[in-house]
Amino acid sequence: MQTAHPFRTLPRRAFLADMGLGFTGLALGAMLQREGRAEETLWVPPDGQPHFAPKAKSVIWLFMNGGVSHLESFDPKPMLNKYAGKTIAETPYASTQSPDKLALARVTVPDANGNQRNELYPLQVGYKPYGQSGMEISDWFPRIARNADRIALVRSMYTTDSNHGAQTQFHSGRHNLDGDFPNLGAWVHYGLGSLNENLPQFISMGTREYWNKRDGHYLGPAHDAVPLRIDPANPLDFGISERPFSQQSKEIGISLMRRLNDLRGVEYPQEPAMAARIASYELAFRMQTSVPDIVDFSKEAEETKSLYGLDQPHCREFAGQLLAARRLVERGVRFIQIQHGGGGAGAWDAHGGLKENHATQALAVDQPVGALLEDLDRRGMLDETLVVFATEFGRTPGSQGGTGRDHHVFGFSVWMAGGGLKRGVVHGTTDEIGFHAVDNRHYVTDIHATILKQMGLDSRRLEIPGRKRLEIDHGVPITEIIA
Amino acid sequence: MNRRLQRCTSWLVWVAMCLPTLAQAEEHWAFQAPSRPSLPPIARAAWARNPIDTFISSHHERQGLQPQPEAKRLLLLRRLYLDLIGVPPGPDEVARVEAAPDESWYEGVVQQLLADPRHGERWARHWMDVWRYSDWWGLGDQLRNSQKHIWHWRDWIVESLNANLPYDEMVRLMLAADESHPDDLDKLRATGFLARNWYLFNRHQWLEETVEHVSKGFLGLTMNCAKCHDHKFDPVSQMDFYRMRAVFEPYQVRNDMLPGVTDIDVDSIPRAFDGWLDKPTYRFVRGEETKPDQSVVAQPGIPDFLTPPMPTVEPIMLTASAWQPARRPWVQESMMEAARQKVQKASLELAATHEKPAGVESPMPEAQAALKVAESLVTLAQTELESLQKRISASRAQWDREDRKQATPCDEIAVAVQAERRASVAKSTHQVAEAELRVLRAEPGKKDEMEKQLAAARESLTKAVAVSESEVKAGEIFTRIEGARWAATRFDDSTKDDAPVAFPAESSGRRTALAAWITDPRNPLTARVAVNQIWMHHLGTPLVATVFDFGRKGTPPTHPELLDWLATELITSGWNMKHLHELIVTSTTYRMSSTMVGGEANAVKDPDNLRWWRRNPIRLDAEVVRDSALALTGELDATRGGPPIAAAAQAESKRRSLYFFHSNNDRNLFLTSFDTAMVKECYRREQSIVPQQALALTNGRLVLDASWKIADRFSTEVSADADFINLAFSVLLGFKPGDAEMKASLEALGAWSALPPDEGRDAASTARSHLIWSLLNHNDFVTLR
Repeated sequence: MQTAHPFRTLPRRAFLADMGLGFTGLALGAMLQREGRAEETLWVPPDGQPHFAPKAKSVIWLFMNGGVSHLESFDPKPMLNKYAGKTIAETPYASTQSPDKLALARVTVPDANGNQRNELYPLQVGYKPYGQSGMEISDWFPRIARNADRIALVRSMYTTDSNHGAQTQFHSGRHNLDGDFPNLGAWVHYGLGSLNENLPQFISMGTREYWNKRDGHYLGPAHDAVPLRIDPANPLDFGISERPFSQQSKEIGISLMRRLNDLRGVEYPQEPAMAARIASYELAFRMQTSVPDIVDFSKEAEETKSLYGLDQPHCREFAGQLLAARRLVERGVRFIQIQHGGGGAGAWDAHGGLKENHATQALAVDQPVGALLEDLDRRGMLDETLVVFATEFGRTPGSQGGTGRDHHVFGFSVWMAGGGLKRGVVHGTTDEIGFHAVDNRHYVTDIHATILKQMGLDSRRLEIPGRKRLEIDHGVPITEIIA
Repeated sequence: MNRRLQRCTSWLVWVAMCLPTLAQAEEHWAFQAPSRPSLPPIARAAWARNPIDTFISSHHERQGLQPQPEAKRLLLLRRLYLDLIGVPPGPDEVARVEAAPDESWYEGVVQQLLADPRHGERWARHWMDVWRYSDWWGLGDQLRNSQKHIWHWRDWIVESLNANLPYDEMVRLMLAADESHPDDLDKLRATGFLARNWYLFNRHQWLEETVEHVSKGFLGLTMNCAKCHDHKFDPVSQMDFYRMRAVFEPYQVRNDMLPGVTDIDVDSIPRAFDGWLDKPTYRFVRGEETKPDQSVVAQPGIPDFLTPPMPTVEPIMLTASAWQPARRPWVQESMMEAARQKVQKASLELAATHEKPAGVESPMPEAQAALKVAESLVTLAQTELESLQKRISASRAQWDREDRKQATPCDEIAVAVQAERRASVAKSTHQVAEAELRVLRAEPGKKDEMEKQLAAARESLTKAVAVSESEVKAGEIFTRIEGARWAATRFDDSTKDDAPVAFPAESSGRRTALAAWITDPRNPLTARVAVNQIWMHHLGTPLVATVFDFGRKGTPPTHPELLDWLATELITSGWNMKHLHELIVTSTTYRMSSTMVGGEANAVKDPDNLRWWRRNPIRLDAEVVRDSALALTGELDATRGGPPIAAAAQAESKRRSLYFFHSNNDRNLFLTSFDTAMVKECYRREQSIVPQQALALTNGRLVLDASWKIADRFSTEVSADADFINLAFSVLLGFKPGDAEMKASLEALGAWSALPPDEGRDAASTARSHLIWSLLNHNDFVTLR
């Protein structure tokens, strides 16, 4: 049997030989880096193999920064219209605000925002049931709604940080005040080896400006996502030469460098760091050609491009990122993390003017996201690709300043699709005014656990010595939505 | 099967280790004061240059290991330079050492480098990792963490290391210079260590981080594990966590005015002071800040099981100018000088206005109004100077009375109040003049608005005049001279500053007591933790792998006697770090080759080199990679100290990387790809090998620009290609090219020469710059062999 803390029993060198120095790239660099720890403890790093048969091979993680109103997206509540303008205390739902039920929120910063809003605010948009499942979705997300029968919707999420540190919390599972912890993508990257030797396995797109900008943390910078821009001319940091340098000259230099490094092996044989350095250069060179190809859409059919909305100014940016995501998945990249509306508190942070704000933001994401699901499915990729549509928290049933909603940690919605999940299911509910998640409640790490399970990973077997993880870090897979 | 069985067994051993009695816990090796170990007898006595080698050799002999021979001369030179000053030797140094007749060059270079001011810059960065140096960060322009001028602390670290300030003294000053040297701005810079932990919004997070990193950084103790419950491994109770918090409970941060700089926002010294003398510390139930257990006040202290006990906390009376910084002569002088300069500037402006003839662009009434503005500005500057003079006089008179314990108010107060009122009238008068001018100059559509502003200005003036004509009331006060400013927090409401914290006349003495205990030679942890860091930076691998955890969950030392010998050597040398550096770098252990050749038998017995039969190769620190490339061009800017280089200026900057703006939110991309320190916690850096590094080195302008410049520089030293190649390998990589390397390099030069040259350069120099580019991308450029 495997224990929660697998221990190293073989000398490191034998272990490296087992792994074979032949495979290249990040995995090796990362592995050698882990090796630094291995020499200090009796423990083995993951071998890049799933712990059990996986259902999904890749994750596309879409994160809406600022906090999408669950009420005006995937969890509409007619009672808000019925009791609009009344205080919660005047409705039959007064008990939602009893102090014990509000104790969940853990405040980082006492703020003008992140407070209780008592006067119920009516829904700012209509909604309808969609698909076989009759999933109720707001009119701002018509394209996603057309895909209702592909979606597993969880309406009973909660988190604890009532500030935007909840963005980090959704990625790492930990409250901002606890410190910095690895994000889900870093764990997946750490646990699973390379599927592709030409591309980094963990990629991030979009502006990243939540409280921490990195992913690996104690797993190391090798597990940070590699940032990618949808710009064929300059998609990667240091991806193109910053001074004129002809390709021919460069190739001569590279082959000289290879030769010289190899020659050094005479005096310094059997050096894993040298092997990793050489491998990292090989991957870097391959990335320089393979990455621009990812964001070069010239070979995509016009129909596909317009399906995503590349020809629509209001959603072009997200469309490009999602099309690139599909192309990355096709090439075997494990985890693609895309931030929508990053910067400041986040574009969805509608403390005021919610109607205009959410209508605009929804327009920017709805078509690309719907198209992604349709495109993946028609190519037969959706079964092995898990798409996540998430946000840091919901928004208050009560009004803030008469035109907006405040941060709301007690109940909100997240949906996933594909990757071996059930299609067209709704799981969990909030109460009649969308205040508290009431049945099948899930903390954010339950989403992580579900994804890891579909990827064939056991988070307990990924633990590393000296870094104690709590029960809540691991979460529990949401088995009800797994096919 | 066998493997699984072994795994289970290991796991059981591990579980068993976790369940000892408290008594056993207290017997843990790191909790006993180190005693000076005697030197073990060794057979290979000639191998040992100093006691470090004796301990290392004794392990070799016990395990039947044969140490690797000494590395070659050029490599040794490269090691010393990169290790001690963080930049490689140039062609001259390389030539000098190559020509040295015997081995005595080594000692000479060691002495020279330890005396080099770049030594402080190199080693400051190591300690800045441990002590969590960070420039400020927040949201947009809002300061939320650390302090704007925290770089003064960085400069203090560099200077202290260069001056070889003893380690214990550095620790004492960082923790409590405000109590031991309350009026010495130079030394107060040290408390930037505490000012860095300043956090706008949450006091608990601030203090919890302080406790965590004081104990990890200085003591190798994970006190943070006892925040919510008793420590699971070490005999640290939850209350102990709060006792250590109580040591820091009174401290706050303020910025002290510097001579010649009257605007604290422009420059000032961020420093600690005790502002909340009566603030009780409570244990939080389960560590939750909303659940303080108010039945018991936690008293400042340390875990009981550690000896010696912490000295008794004695409150410290501060010198008057420490808590009334306006008393500092330079504060008054700087402010007077600034006020005088204002008068001078206003007078010059007035003279210039007089000279401007009234003309078409400036009709008569407007010229008169402009003159009135200039005149009123002179009056304003003069009355402000007077007001300042009177306020200083009144302040001095008051201080004088306070010093003589007289309670009666002095006449100077009323004089100062009146002078300040006159300044206020002058200010309003000037504002009226300005408003009048604006009315004259206003475009038709703006006239009404300007008239309104003028009316308001006149009303203010009327009020100011009325106030100035009234009698000065008893108890009325004047605006105090500000010699320092409290770093305002927002614990209660994120939208407005908390109630100001005054500067008390006494300090709690708590931090002095803790610092005395940490630096007590009998403290079992302090010296061991420090020498472990020093060893790690010299040799790449620490003696205790868990550098911040010397507790029972930490890894035991590979060489316990050596660790203790080094710790006692540090203490008995007067915590002399340069002495320790010298000992380590002159040891035979340090000089060994890192090659595996000939070490095959060793590798079977000790595959992980735990017994140091060879050197471990080190991936260079991020800063060393960048600084080396710049240094080799000859363009590295040797300027030391000062404000950090902003992100936007970094690409052009030739300053050492140490001076780059470096915070949680803003780090240089090139340095980040090479694992530069994370500011929240960095007791040991990663040495990752990732493709982003390859991209940064192949495509980044740093290396591309450096390649040209280095090639040109070397070409002035040598002419033939073979000599150029020889020099380039020696200086960039620390070894002489062999025949195969020479052949490959010459072939490449030939191939490049056949291609069109870079713009503005000939084929030969273009080819040479490409060769340099290739060598800067060689594994050995970023590796210390």
